[in-house]
Amino acid sequence: MSMRLLKQPGEWISREKTIKFTFEGKEYTGFEGDTITSALLAAGVQVLGRSFKYHRPRGVLSFANHDINVMVTDGQDTNIRGDVVKLENGMKLQAVNTDGGVVKDKNSYIDKISPLLPVGFYYKAFHKPLFLFPFWEKLIRKSAGLGIVNFNFPRINKRKLNTHTDLLIIGAGPSGLAAALAAASNGLQVTLVDENQQLGGSLSYDHAGSDTTRKLLDSLIDMVRKTPNITIHLGAYAAGYYTDHMVPIVGANGITRVRAQAVIVATGVFEQPPVFRNNDLPGVMLGSAVQRLIYRYSVKPFNKGVVVTANSQGYRVALDLLNAGVKVAALVDFRAEGPRDPLAAELVRQGVKIHAGHCVYEVIPTADKLGVKAVTISPFDDVSNVVDTDKSITVECDGVAMSAGWAPAAALLYQSGIGMGYNNEIQQFVPNRLPKGIFAAGRVNGVFSVESRVADGARAAAEVLRYLGKAAPEVEVGKHQGVSPSHAYPIVPHPKGKNFVDFDEDIQVKDFINAAQEGFDNIELMKRFTTVGMGPSQGKHSNMNAIRILAKIRQLPVEKIGTTTARPFFHPTPFGHLGGRSFHSHRLTGIHSWHESANAHFVDVGAWSRPAYYQKDGLSKQQAIQQEALAVRKAAGIIDGGTLGKIEVCGPDAALFLERFYTGRYADQKVGESRYVLLLDDSGVIVDDGLASRLADELFYVTISTSNAAAVYREMQRWLQIWQLNVGLVNVTGVYGLINVAGPNSRAILQPLIAEDLSDSAFPQGRAVMSSIFGVPIRLVRVAFVAELAFEIHMPSGYALPIWKALIEAGASHGLRPFGTDTQRLLRLELGHHMPGYDTDGLTNPYEVGAEWALHLDKPFFIGQRSLQIIAKKPTNKKLVPFTLAADFSGEQPLDCNLVLDSTVGSNKITGRVTSIAYSPSLKRIIGLAYVAPTQAQLGTEFQIRTDNGSLVKATVVSTPFKA
Amino acid sequence: MTLLIKTSPVTYALLQPVLGELNGMQVALRFDSESVESARKSTLGVTDVSSFQRFAIKGPQAAAWLSAQGLALPPENNSWTLGAPDTLVLRLGGSEFLVEDQYHGAFTQRLRSFDQSATAGAYHVQRGDAAFVLSGSKVQELLSELCMLDLRDAALPAHALVMTQLAGISATILRQPLNGEPVFRIWCDGTYGPYLWGMLLEIAQELGGGAVGLSCHYQ
Repeated sequence: MSMRLLKQPGEWISREKTIKFTFEGKEYTGFEGDTITSALLAAGVQVLGRSFKYHRPRGVLSFANHDINVMVTDGQDTNIRGDVVKLENGMKLQAVNTDGGVVKDKNSYIDKISPLLPVGFYYKAFHKPLFLFPFWEKLIRKSAGLGIVNFNFPRINKRKLNTHTDLLIIGAGPSGLAAALAAASNGLQVTLVDENQQLGGSLSYDHAGSDTTRKLLDSLIDMVRKTPNITIHLGAYAAGYYTDHMVPIVGANGITRVRAQAVIVATGVFEQPPVFRNNDLPGVMLGSAVQRLIYRYSVKPFNKGVVVTANSQGYRVALDLLNAGVKVAALVDFRAEGPRDPLAAELVRQGVKIHAGHCVYEVIPTADKLGVKAVTISPFDDVSNVVDTDKSITVECDGVAMSAGWAPAAALLYQSGIGMGYNNEIQQFVPNRLPKGIFAAGRVNGVFSVESRVADGARAAAEVLRYLGKAAPEVEVGKHQGVSPSHAYPIVPHPKGKNFVDFDEDIQVKDFINAAQEGFDNIELMKRFTTVGMGPSQGKHSNMNAIRILAKIRQLPVEKIGTTTARPFFHPTPFGHLGGRSFHSHRLTGIHSWHESANAHFVDVGAWSRPAYYQKDGLSKQQAIQQEALAVRKAAGIIDGGTLGKIEVCGPDAALFLERFYTGRYADQKVGESRYVLLLDDSGVIVDDGLASRLADELFYVTISTSNAAAVYREMQRWLQIWQLNVGLVNVTGVYGLINVAGPNSRAILQPLIAEDLSDSAFPQGRAVMSSIFGVPIRLVRVAFVAELAFEIHMPSGYALPIWKALIEAGASHGLRPFGTDTQRLLRLELGHHMPGYDTDGLTNPYEVGAEWALHLDKPFFIGQRSLQIIAKKPTNKKLVPFTLAADFSGEQPLDCNLVLDSTVGSNKITGRVTSIAYSPSLKRIIGLAYVAPTQAQLGTEFQIRTDNGSLVKATVVSTPFKA
Repeated sequence: MTLLIKTSPVTYALLQPVLGELNGMQVALRFDSESVESARKSTLGVTDVSSFQRFAIKGPQAAAWLSAQGLALPPENNSWTLGAPDTLVLRLGGSEFLVEDQYHGAFTQRLRSFDQSATAGAYHVQRGDAAFVLSGSKVQELLSELCMLDLRDAALPAHALVMTQLAGISATILRQPLNGEPVFRIWCDGTYGPYLWGMLLEIAQELGGGAVGLSCHYQ
């Protein structure tokens, strides 16, 4: 049976375009502009979902952009919110969290055993016996959650944009619209955001059967549309508040990070459900949901309804129901004083019976439990919270509209650091202290009549103008007049329970009472024990009632209970939105394209992408690495070292700076010479190492490790600020390319290309000069990191690729072969060089790696010197030693980080770990570096390494360079 | 004098542009037909100008030395000026400058005579920039995705330069007139060039623009 009404003025659907879709396998039609929920309700479908825990049937609850009762999947995406997402042609939808469909959910039996499953039952039930825990865990994990994650979800780019504005207004109801107009008319650039598809907020649906509010809305929209300096975002929600007034606005296509000079929060209020037995049945919904269905989507919520209220809003809802042709069987008002609203007379005139001082004691379900059959109405003392069930009556109906009060949509205000106080006159938390640049207006500010909300918007805009240094008049907004818009305690007790407070998590009144009895009687503790407010709606329609219940249990005023912490994001936001375009910045050397064409296997090193080795057909990774290593040992290899950190230290105090920064001596370093540099931190821990080449009296060229380059440069800048030396620091890491040609044939390859005499006598280890190759100015350094004979060529990065290509060509007849970083690690291991970061950790000092030779403790100062002087007086706990396995070793090879044991003490005591280990093809045996106890560090000492499979492997301490 | 040609930090081989040479560096002169590139330029064009000649210097005496060479300097930090016809001078801080010859400029040749050992308080800063021109009506939309700062005309004075994060990397940005049209200029470390070029192009193509060769802007 169609529940679609005739065309309503201002409706959001376009009846010219019909949309076909299926829900649970059955075909339906809706109109363009419908949400999934409105289209289904219009088609007469009332059961739209199943509850999270008890799998109770559910229909519409709030229909206010946070209705967790209706969450569906289209087979690709999941947890699609039916009340928000627009209907699209061809959608094939299923409710989430059912087994067998929303009507015949096989898990609905859980509702029958719900007394056995109170909140927190699994905390107590499943941790003993321990061996059964994995079974229960698996079962609970399967039962938990709503939709099923689709791991094949396609990547859809959701852009994240940055925009700037003078004033951001969140909420386009009467306050937001009025504020926007007032601010824009005074020259401010205004950004107006609302999560609804159209402007107006409650002006678009809360009419009380008249057209006054609609006319006001038309007028406001007309003015806003004509104001060019108002930018409007609709269908987008403000997801959080961050420092400096940065608010991410989440829309269907991405996130816009708005930075504003000032922010007006006019987010309104969430309607709160009164609590009574079976208040979650399909057909029972909030009064504002009823109004939204009628006026925005022209959908009749039910045919014959009962309105239960504890404020004036219920009277407005009843008039709107009558206006839509719905029979109102009764209006039930919790309040003992009887109807105090002028609208009551109109209802009576239209034949609606008003039961003042009564409550809906329970909703009686239909035989199939899928809808409303009737309600039981009982006399109710709303002050003492006592129901007189002896005088109950039953009224037949097929739906219930509930209006008991409101909770401020104040999440963003809380995040901005606002102070809130409880106002007893309106039974609501309202702002009492606002951070600079943050303003509140409208119902979130405790202002309720439409006229007052418009005035409050103008008042907030005037305050913004003054905050921004512009003149603006004072705008007075009177205090709330009349009865409270919210009831102090709209909770109806029932011995059989099922009076739900939190619809997300199926939490009943008794669950709070039990939680408090167990000691969880603080709102934050209660939240975590009961999980109230932890479902997808994040407590938007449950937290306020939870606070009221706890206040009653503890016999405290509501303000003493306080509220839970409001954290971003305001609504569940897809990961795709958070990920955005994924800016994974990375650095490439000028030779990268050549590496790609040579089939390099790349590895990320810091921000860089470097060849680990070059893949060859028919060769495993290890074989490829070993062949590259053999080429360096027997002929020549070439590696792209452009990623290495490179820093120029210039000026009269350059040598003094290095003397203080590093452990070595540089004041007496000659031009044309390079020296080892070792950087420690203040506690004497090794941070980095490298080379300092003196290229001129006042110019040192320092190379440092790739992954530490940025951090070391920052440290240099920091210390330079402290020391105030006459030094200039220039980070030329990206400016210079670096090519290392290593191996016995390296000299033969380079000598014809370089003017300098590269012989050992003329160009010994540690020589560093300015030179040229192919006419390109270079810095040439003799190094010995991967081979005893090796040359580093540093050139302007634009020349790296042409020089590389030329060297490859020149070296072809000398067996030159490119090698990567994995091979580099093996080659330096063969020479016995440790690498900071690989062979050291965040606690390693130079004494432990045998680097005493690099320390010049007699200098006046260097970083870490004082700590070293203390460390030197203490016994060393560990030593890094080179070791080999037996030449004929054939068992499982130990790996990096395998433990070193001392079997001599009888219990295989752990004394250290392997830091580097590899099979050396040139030595034809397994070699490595490991931390051992000082007693195990003597040459020839044997120790045990425990492999991953638990076997023990004997290793022997040797000297370096390793020998076959 | 070398016979080797420098490569641009930007890699665009896959786009198969018409290549040329400027200042000893290989450059993309054209990626598509003149009409296509002209349309891209008007919507959102991305052009690699890494090949422009640059000279950078810093230190307490840097300003004095540059002035002595006859170059007009921006008076304020984080601003730029035309120091000579067809030569931009960017003041990156109180004592750091980047001088860039435009397509027809040649002033940096004169600055290469700088002798660091003879000039106390000034240090030559080697540069290896990737540099770009962004043109067209949708530049702001692109920048709003890449940069958190407000780079709209009203917020960015004509001679201001901004050193900020663009797509997560450090970059220098300014707005300059080119052939009567305002364009944005971007500089970043050359090793980030391929990454930034890729991001600029990806977004530009989504917005109806694309790669524009050097010839489209400079003749």
